[in-house]
Amino acid sequence: MSSEIIKDTIEASLEFSKQQIVNFVKKFRDRKLAFIEDEKTIELAKEQYESGESKFYHRYIHDKKLLFLVGMGLTLRKVEENAEKRQNLRSKLFNKYKVEGLHVAEFVQNGILNRYNSILLELVDSIEDLEKQIENVLKNIEKYSLFVQGRDRIGEIIRRTINITDSHSPTIFVISGEGSCAKLLGDNVKKIEDSLKRYSLEKISTSNREILFFKLSSILNN
Amino acid sequence: MEIVSLKNVSLNSKILLLKELGYNSDGEFVLDKKGNKLLDRYFDVPVRVENMVILPGSEIILDDNELSISAYLEEFGNVF
Repeated sequence: MSSEIIKDTIEASLEFSKQQIVNFVKKFRDRKLAFIEDEKTIELAKEQYESGESKFYHRYIHDKKLLFLVGMGLTLRKVEENAEKRQNLRSKLFNKYKVEGLHVAEFVQNGILNRYNSILLELVDSIEDLEKQIENVLKNIEKYSLFVQGRDRIGEIIRRTINITDSHSPTIFVISGEGSCAKLLGDNVKKIEDSLKRYSLEKISTSNREILFFKLSSILNN
Repeated sequence: MEIVSLKNVSLNSKILLLKELGYNSDGEFVLDKKGNKLLDRYFDVPVRVENMVILPGSEIILDDNELSISAYLEEFGNVF
């Protein structure tokens, strides 16, 4: 047995005495103590909660559920380098908040909401209007965005894009994809752009992500 | 606030702690006061004794993951 394993075994068998437990529980009930497992988990969550971005959204989003999902999106961004953890957390979000909830979190995680807001700022005429529009896009995420999945083909993506934009005429419509989906979008930007004549395109490309912002030309020109 | 890490604490001590708080365990999961598996407040997953956090606010026992802790902070603020 290596010394590392022995050390782990010893540490893993740390025992609390009965008196220690009684003292802990008394302090806990007085709200002076908390029990945690991995300190890093708390630190990461605190970092996210105290971030400027989180504070910004606390100021402009008043719907508790949306604010919660925005927080989850910021948290997902913090763990995105850890593929296993990221997948595990995405599954938890999907199981509880369904695909719409996951998409709201992804909208935030991928930085789409930040860019979306900066485009909105050019269009709104008051803080109230900005707040209303942010909440509206998050509450109706499927009318304002398309998250490309691994199995999607370009014809299907274009068909769904036309359906959504024709039905709802969103001022800003976002298509995003990661990994192989990013490549698919990147290779077919022209085709998608040609199918959305009423919109002008702004593209954000990173090594693993392609995000297409389509802005309704008539609104932007007014 | 004082923070006690349960990371290297024995299963037996964790179960004694849960019992002192009025909960129990089947050796794997946290059981509530009625003997049912306790579900994480935010994500409805059963909480494992080996991966639990116990936080102030009506004795909140959560699965130790970033989303649940973030959700707790959203609800109760930064109590740490």
